[in-house]
Amino acid sequence: MSASSHEFFDHTSEIGLRIRAPSFAAIIGEATRGLAELQLGGQPAPLDGSWRGMDVESTDREALLVDWLNELIFYAETERWVAVEVDVETAGDTKVAARVRGIPVAEAPALVKAVTHHRLSVRQESGGLVAEVVLDV
Amino acid sequence: MSGDTAYPVTRPEPFVYEVPASAREDMRVPARVFADEELWTQIQGDRSVEQLANVATLPGISRCALAMPDVHQGYGFPVGGVAAFRTSDGVISPGGVGYDINCGVRLLVSELTVGDLRGRLESLVHDLSRSVPSGTGRGGELHLTDAELDRVFVDGCRYLLERDLALPEDIVTTEADGSLPQADPGRVSQRARQRGSKQLGTIGSGNHFVEVQTVERVFDARAAEALGLESGCITVLIHTGSRGLGHQVCTDYVRDMDSVMSKYGIRLPDRELACAPFDSPEGRAYFGAMCAAANFAWSNRQVITHAVRRVFTRVLGDDARLRLVYDVAHNIAKVEDYDGESLCVHRKGATRAFPPGHPETPAMYRDVGQPVFIPGSMGTASFVLVGAGGAMTQSFGSTCHGAGRRMSRRAAKRLQEGHEVRRDLTEKGIVVRCRSNSELAEEAPHAYKDVDRVVDVVHQMGLARKVARLKPIGVVKG
Repeated sequence: MSASSHEFFDHTSEIGLRIRAPSFAAIIGEATRGLAELQLGGQPAPLDGSWRGMDVESTDREALLVDWLNELIFYAETERWVAVEVDVETAGDTKVAARVRGIPVAEAPALVKAVTHHRLSVRQESGGLVAEVVLDV
Repeated sequence: MSGDTAYPVTRPEPFVYEVPASAREDMRVPARVFADEELWTQIQGDRSVEQLANVATLPGISRCALAMPDVHQGYGFPVGGVAAFRTSDGVISPGGVGYDINCGVRLLVSELTVGDLRGRLESLVHDLSRSVPSGTGRGGELHLTDAELDRVFVDGCRYLLERDLALPEDIVTTEADGSLPQADPGRVSQRARQRGSKQLGTIGSGNHFVEVQTVERVFDARAAEALGLESGCITVLIHTGSRGLGHQVCTDYVRDMDSVMSKYGIRLPDRELACAPFDSPEGRAYFGAMCAAANFAWSNRQVITHAVRRVFTRVLGDDARLRLVYDVAHNIAKVEDYDGESLCVHRKGATRAFPPGHPETPAMYRDVGQPVFIPGSMGTASFVLVGAGGAMTQSFGSTCHGAGRRMSRRAAKRLQEGHEVRRDLTEKGIVVRCRSNSELAEEAPHAYKDVDRVVDVVHQMGLARKVARLKPIGVVKG
């Protein structure tokens, strides 16, 4: 698996996000793009914006993915700043440190309220990783 | 989306489908679904039953895990689920309440009829859409300091009485008088406060709404009279919850509990069921924070009520008064006694439905039962019910909470585009204000179960009795 990708899968009331990437660092980057797609309503992200450093620590990789995305939701709602690009510095099993580029939005984005631990997984599959997470919308 | 793994199912009583505790090694009690045959078929279309069976594995669960006829797949607990855990040796689970803590409904009634709105409905709905902010992160006019937020957390709607945002009679017609005494503001994180400080008085997004309706049919004249409902009168139904504040409280405590379960020897089939003993530092902390968020949610619906009242008098004149019939939670955990046992009853997409004579029902309704409101899908009927005796013996004093989704948002959008949903509603004479066609399509009526059928099940089971059917005429969608 050389390129990263994401897709959304059906859930009766929520939205599932499936990410394929060659490494966990790439999973974090692609998950950020997937969330931004929902937060921006599918509109392309501009190339400008501001960068900020982010460190997130959790108990394991799965929880780290959830906590990372919840961190982005917090900034989107309170600062109207939607993360669109990630430069991961370190991505271990319990900690991610990265620089993140975000763009200002006129209104805090609709749709995603929280990221859940429901059916949460990060698993190895044919040369890369596949992660699944369900978003509360 | 796939359905459940096949479980053995028995039919011990009419409208009851039961997965016995023996179906899985980890189930402690049976899982029971209340439904008729058609709803049961729909319910099997997603993972609701598997999720209910997962709930039946949690420590200290009493009697059985329950699903109301509007149940659908959620995250961890199914939406439409009720589970009660002994406070002595059972757990409390943030996921069993959900991210939107005390999402709920309140019904307002006026002495106006449809004729009084003739030529002014469009203006009324337009003004409501301008006066009640919608959208996930949208803030309201009321920006609260930390000290003011603490007052909301502790005193709920009573604090709003001091701020002239509530009437004294609003307090007695709100569940728990709009304030749970176990609230502990010290357990609400700074992040949750940050998300909530500007959101009091906002409806949010998703399936939240403010709806103008008319009483289309009365089923029970005595109960309707007690509730002040007459055929043809105008009502307003408000559906929202604790907004970003509640989302953050749940996020914070799912994370905390996920990290301490091994300490308590708890093993789960789904991490979103993360929990801790009710009587533990983590359990008490979550309960205190959840109660604070619940008080915030009642206050949120109260501030919206204040805005709606101002719009009604502005558009329709000083006589257009709105009386609060009742306000009741759909997502909450409360300590209640059943057969002498102290239980923490988790209602996740379910409504408390206390029967006539219950001391927690306001005196004015005690002869008929606690009011229950069941919103239909957008553009379809809603129902007013009252709690009935069967709820105390069959469902921990609970009943259904809505029509219940039966189709994913993407599937709903594939079936009908937002502009077509808007056109259909307009053709039915319903004035709609929704900022996004896409969100309108997600909430289209075909995405939900038949609310009439759902309500008939709980009525026939004696969990709640039908009082009136409400028809929408104007919708402001979040």
